[in-house]
Amino acid sequence: MTASRSPQDSSRRQLATALASIVGEDNILTESEDLQTWGQDWTRFYSPDPLGIVFPRSVEQVAQLVQYAKNNRLPLVPSGGRTGLSGGAVAMRQELVVSFDKLNKIKSFNETDQTVVVEAGVVTARLQEFAREKSLYYPVDFASSGSSQIGGNIATNAGGIKVLRYGLTRDQVVGLKVVIGTGDILELNRGLIKNATGYDLRHLFIGSEGTLGFIMEATIKLTVPPPPLAVALLAVPDMAHTINLLTTFRRRVTLSAFEFFSDAALTHVVEQSSLSPPFAKRADFYVLLEFERRSEQDMTGAESAFESCAESGWVTDGLLSHTEQQRRDFWQYRERISESIAPFTPYKHDVSVVPSAIPDFLASVDALVAKEYPDFQKIWFGHIGDGNLHLNILKPDTWSVADFRQECERVNDKMLKLVQSYKGSISAEHGIGLLKKSGLHYTRTASEIALMKSLKQVFDPEGVMNPGKLV
Amino acid sequence: MKILVAIKRVVDYNVNIHVRSDNSGVELNNVKMSMNPFDEIAVEEAIRLREAGKAEEVIVVSVGTSACREQIRTALALGADRGILVETDAELQPLAIAKLLVAIVKQEAPMLVITGKQAIDGDNSQTGQMLAALAGMSQATFASELLLGDDTATVTREVDGGLETITVKLPAVVTTDLRLNEPRYASLPNIMKAKKKPIDTCSPEDLGVDVTPGLKILKVTEPPERQAGIILETVEELVDKLQNEAKVI
Repeated sequence: MTASRSPQDSSRRQLATALASIVGEDNILTESEDLQTWGQDWTRFYSPDPLGIVFPRSVEQVAQLVQYAKNNRLPLVPSGGRTGLSGGAVAMRQELVVSFDKLNKIKSFNETDQTVVVEAGVVTARLQEFAREKSLYYPVDFASSGSSQIGGNIATNAGGIKVLRYGLTRDQVVGLKVVIGTGDILELNRGLIKNATGYDLRHLFIGSEGTLGFIMEATIKLTVPPPPLAVALLAVPDMAHTINLLTTFRRRVTLSAFEFFSDAALTHVVEQSSLSPPFAKRADFYVLLEFERRSEQDMTGAESAFESCAESGWVTDGLLSHTEQQRRDFWQYRERISESIAPFTPYKHDVSVVPSAIPDFLASVDALVAKEYPDFQKIWFGHIGDGNLHLNILKPDTWSVADFRQECERVNDKMLKLVQSYKGSISAEHGIGLLKKSGLHYTRTASEIALMKSLKQVFDPEGVMNPGKLV
Repeated sequence: MKILVAIKRVVDYNVNIHVRSDNSGVELNNVKMSMNPFDEIAVEEAIRLREAGKAEEVIVVSVGTSACREQIRTALALGADRGILVETDAELQPLAIAKLLVAIVKQEAPMLVITGKQAIDGDNSQTGQMLAALAGMSQATFASELLLGDDTATVTREVDGGLETITVKLPAVVTTDLRLNEPRYASLPNIMKAKKKPIDTCSPEDLGVDVTPGLKILKVTEPPERQAGIILETVEELVDKLQNEAKVI
């Protein structure tokens, strides 16, 4: 008996044949387990449902895939290390996932230019390691650098812990090769330092979340490795003073990080780890700052900055690392916050304002959450030097996850309005993707969003490049 | 009672060591330098004894270039009372350092000298022992516990077979092992206060000690790189390799 075949089956077979002729049968996955894996990122609020996964091995294959997708209105979702937190790489509506896992070569290194050409699928940590081998440094670093890929870093303009000193991913990219929604291949800026020839299209693709085109290759500028670093951990009675600390220290030392966290955050870290509390007497807030220690003068500079802050009453106590081990130990108090609160199903806010607005902004957020979440525990931390606040709300045991999420979302709207009133960003470094799309208008005006949509129309006329995300 | 703590400035424990291309020694340019970790434990132990009322004064001494002031300052910030720097640019070997420390012991007459069991740069583990012998003091090395009596020190030592407890007469030299204590961090208020604490400086000539090295370093090389391992399919293969290649069975 022969099974009857529906028209859907036959179009599926046509599709499978077409894809196989582009990438080869061995580079296609359709098993449900694989669809689950490659159909989503670290955002766990969506049910992945992709059509299939393809693993192209060349720029030309991706160009052909996009041509095919454009002609057949087949939506594509780009997929890198899948460590995103806003659902930018989630495929939940029968999209074809284009994974860059097999485009993972470091193609060339130019010692004179101190640049390296990498394919999109190169893992961030591998680029960092490659730079080290060349006695150079790739300064973008964050918790997921062991899995995230450079293509995804560029598509989301990844930030992390060294932004204060070295900038964002955008600041490291001197050239891009992209495949846009028409199937055309563009080579943008070609590694040039100076290039005053009109619109710099390269920057449109950085942070575009795959909605204009797919990043295929990047020319990355490497830098000299940092000198030895030292860390000061400061006890701060009032979060309004954190910005005064930033100003005072910045005058005397070259800062490479300026982080803050609340005593509640520290309490969770100490409870969940073997670390002992850093101070005998607790403070309400702490600042961790890292600076370059080229000579003894830098230590003296940090010490005198501390003295002047202490005289003003902005700090009550402080520690200064004297060994590399101590520097790493102090970072633990900050780095372990996320994992130590993970069991409490935290609702995460990732917002930013200009650093000078931080004191007023923190006070307003404090007043808002004290009023709206009287019974929930609030965990404050963030890259204050970049104006970036990560406020996490913890779920009480007695609340169900669904009720808790709903309650947080009710308050979230007020939070985003507050961010808007400070001319801030509703997503400082986690992107928009699916998760934050409804709040985009709090940071971008109606005319900006209209222009963004028009741009998408130009680069992706058939709307096949990561549709439904960002705009 | 006075306690003298001897500390050394060494390449930071976490720094990757590179041998100079001419094999004359380890590259020290632009390398982070810190207090020898075992000496940090020595400083901590001395401060705890003073805090417990067993000692009145903790004096910290280091031998080397003027850069060693940085590590002396750290010890003062941790709680030591005053510092001594025996300043010299000369190459120093354990015997010369021990002789210089003998001279300082004669000046200060401490009842107890505490220092690390070894410095992590040369890994010699000689200075404390030579100092005790030359100064005619008792010695208790590799201490994991230290109890002070009126004129004795009871020290638990980490030895190969386990723990050994000995009682020695004061004055004594005690060298510290890793488990003796967990050193505190330098607090910024104490770092500021430490700036007012005195550091006396003298030279080997002032102390009448000849520091000319008695040993000549022929060359320093990187350890041989480890060969990559192989994965074998069968036990027979393994036995064959152990018998015929490794020749261990």
